[in-house]
Amino acid sequence: MRYFLELAAAFTGSMGFAMIFHVRREKLFLASLGGMLAWGVYLLMGLVSDQDVVRSFAASVFMTVYAEVLARVVKCPATLFIATGCIPLVPGSALYHTMEYFMDGDVSACLSQGLATVLVAVSIALGMLFPTSIFRLAGRTRGKCPR
Amino acid sequence: MEEPKQILTPEEVSRLAVMAEAELANEYLYQILEVGQTMLQCGGEVSRVEESIRRMCLAFGAERADVFTITSSIVVTVYAHKFGTLTQTRRISGTQFDLHRLELLNALSRRICAEHLGPEETARALEEVQAVPQYGPVAQMGIYALASASFSLFFGGSFADVVVSGCIAVVLKIMDLFIKRIEAGGGASVLLCSCLGGLLSALSVRLGLGDNVDMISIGNIMLLIPGVALTNSLRDMFGGNTLSGIMRFIEALLQALTIAFGLALAARLM
Repeated sequence: MRYFLELAAAFTGSMGFAMIFHVRREKLFLASLGGMLAWGVYLLMGLVSDQDVVRSFAASVFMTVYAEVLARVVKCPATLFIATGCIPLVPGSALYHTMEYFMDGDVSACLSQGLATVLVAVSIALGMLFPTSIFRLAGRTRGKCPR
Repeated sequence: MEEPKQILTPEEVSRLAVMAEAELANEYLYQILEVGQTMLQCGGEVSRVEESIRRMCLAFGAERADVFTITSSIVVTVYAHKFGTLTQTRRISGTQFDLHRLELLNALSRRICAEHLGPEETARALEEVQAVPQYGPVAQMGIYALASASFSLFFGGSFADVVVSGCIAVVLKIMDLFIKRIEAGGGASVLLCSCLGGLLSALSVRLGLGDNVDMISIGNIMLLIPGVALTNSLRDMFGGNTLSGIMRFIEALLQALTIAFGLALAARLM
């Protein structure tokens, strides 16, 4: 039940951000779906690993592949789906807690939470890079411009 | 007796031809930079902007195009035998994500490459892109309420928390629109929004409307906190655009600090 609520919230949350980013019409649904699926992968990876970094990386790779494939199907920049799909994954609450510790003057908690936040952000960023470069390479060998 | 007309030497003729070509090329370059600038301001990645500008320059006849883009500036130098070397620079400020426009601009840049649009046609097409309507103020309030309520639910808030979080988001959006109207800097809006958000969520729990201050304010904070900016900055750095990445990283850090300061202020006031 908890997971279904989270997935539903990931869908509407991504949709909210997609609308803040001015995504339109049928792409709005696809972008929100990307966010939900990414969170689904994150939850599924919980069966394999309890490391946030590993789960975020896997979810980010999946989300980017989804975005790059869709970008070719509906003919639009992949950024549109990447920027919205990563919303449930980005370490917003971790960053918030880091700042909370910082303001409380709890230096050691702030440092460890801050490090964890940056590590998750790094894993998401690296997860985005791999599929994008592979798709770009595949496009180049077929002589097409990158999307 | 008429004086004989002065006849230009072949050297002067070719110099005039180069000057005429350069004038035209400068117009092309100006419009291409307009497209690039708008792309960057709509949230296009640095690599995408650089690649698009380079392709458009090669399309109008440049033999060589060197593009350097960071989040706050674009520098382009083109060279061709017929018009020599030309450089144009832009200072970029104010990024506002608009992925729909980015999509249109991407399509436009491809059209410019494929159909060799002239400067006037490009300017007209760009105007069309900029005339695309955005969500109005009321719609934006609804959108903020939706996003805020979603994140309150996402992090485990109760039903009451979700509703209160959505309502506070509407208040914050109204204030944000008001601050934007009086043209205060971005930092002021973030500081006031996080402070007011903290105050309102604490107040709502005291009045018995919500259950959990943290769950209410996390929804509002997710709209402000630069989680996406942080991730994108790292993506820029790993992708080879170190300078842009560092700038975005510091910006994200400063914004997070501003939010923390606003929340701490709210906590002291309550």
